[in-house]
Amino acid sequence: MSGKEFFVNRYEKLGWKYEDVVPKQAIRINIMNADETRVVKRLESLGIELERVPFLEHGYWVSKTKFSIGVATEYLLGYYSIQEAAAQIPATLFSELKDKTVLDACAAPGGKTVQLANLMQNTGAIIALDVEKVRLAALANHLERCSVTNTIVYHLDARKASQLKTKFDHILLDVPCSGNFAADKDWFKRRTIKDVERNAELQREILAEATKVLKDGGEIVYSTCSLEPEENELNINWAIKELNLKVEKVNCYGERAKTNIFGKQLDNSVADCRRIWPGTTQGFFVCKLKRANAL
Amino acid sequence: MNVIDEFVSKFGAHLSLKKSLIIENKNRYFLLNENLRRLVDKNFFYAGAYLGKIKGEKFFPSFILLKMIANSKATKIYVDAKAAWLFICRRDIFKQGIVKIEGFKKKGAYTLVLNQYGECLGFGRILCDLYEEIGKVVIKNVSDIGDFLRRER
Repeated sequence: MSGKEFFVNRYEKLGWKYEDVVPKQAIRINIMNADETRVVKRLESLGIELERVPFLEHGYWVSKTKFSIGVATEYLLGYYSIQEAAAQIPATLFSELKDKTVLDACAAPGGKTVQLANLMQNTGAIIALDVEKVRLAALANHLERCSVTNTIVYHLDARKASQLKTKFDHILLDVPCSGNFAADKDWFKRRTIKDVERNAELQREILAEATKVLKDGGEIVYSTCSLEPEENELNINWAIKELNLKVEKVNCYGERAKTNIFGKQLDNSVADCRRIWPGTTQGFFVCKLKRANAL
Repeated sequence: MNVIDEFVSKFGAHLSLKKSLIIENKNRYFLLNENLRRLVDKNFFYAGAYLGKIKGEKFFPSFILLKMIANSKATKIYVDAKAAWLFICRRDIFKQGIVKIEGFKKKGAYTLVLNQYGECLGFGRILCDLYEEIGKVVIKNVSDIGDFLRRER
């Protein structure tokens, strides 16, 4: 229940033919800190070739650069973040962010936290959690570099979010996952179906806790960079049945998610989630959820 | 809080920060807004605008605080592109790299270091008369934004 052949065979059953891919490096302009056109011009004057990502508002692929884009002055000034293109999608799916109270439940190293702060224009409040203390320093550095001022960070397991005694308008669950081969060349050697099942269980626990701290009418955006249906469609199907959540339609990059997984028929609304197979981006899965009884 | 006012005054500057919104956690100082003040719990790791930390007797400012000082009336020097790049690489500044000086220029005082676009790259200590010394280091690098890279090594 492991190895390249095992997983590739699963992907084929889900309708995707395996191919070796190298996702393009991408950046996101922090529009809160700088004028986008000006930043792009400055980077181009340094010999960095950028290509606008067609499905993102502030995202660019780095087509060519002679040096690491993580050392430019503009990076150190917080004018952009290095963030994979598909990973830039989840934060954009919330309907309204300004002045809201938002939970970023698995926040480190902070790419999506900074993106949320940008979309919120540093208004409202973001509560950012991470269970791994060593990753909090990277998160704090990211917030400082990008002049984020609306965030409180706690060293806390997302499964204990109700300890915060706060209800949230929006919750971002970019949950810990098994990852995918496009972002890790040794992925097939390292991963087994047991890892996938263990991660899927952890993700369900996080989803259940998030539901407890979600305001009525609030939104949860759930995402993984896993290709495995146990962490994606099957977990969302479980959340529909067990947590009384419903999938909201989203208008974003990616194909409709699967509603038949290896012969198991899922709720039809699972198709409104988005599945992204590796190509110019890494593999990804994203969806927006609300309480089923919410207006 | 006095430590922040004292640090800011070394640039001949003054910031009106509301004392009740500044909180300290393990020798690190943060500026909150009313909303965050209401939400924050004592066990936080980071909150609002990070202002800096005290280590030993010394105050180490954040780059958010330096940017706030740069937006006020303060001692500043503007440097050319070459000096700016070297400064980010932790190097000191030679007289010939300076293109403009604002504020007081007393030996031993702190000065913010800004690039050609007026962006704050860090701060340094004035070593000698900025108008007279040629071919010598005149600003000693104390802290620069290249620190974001060095911290994560």
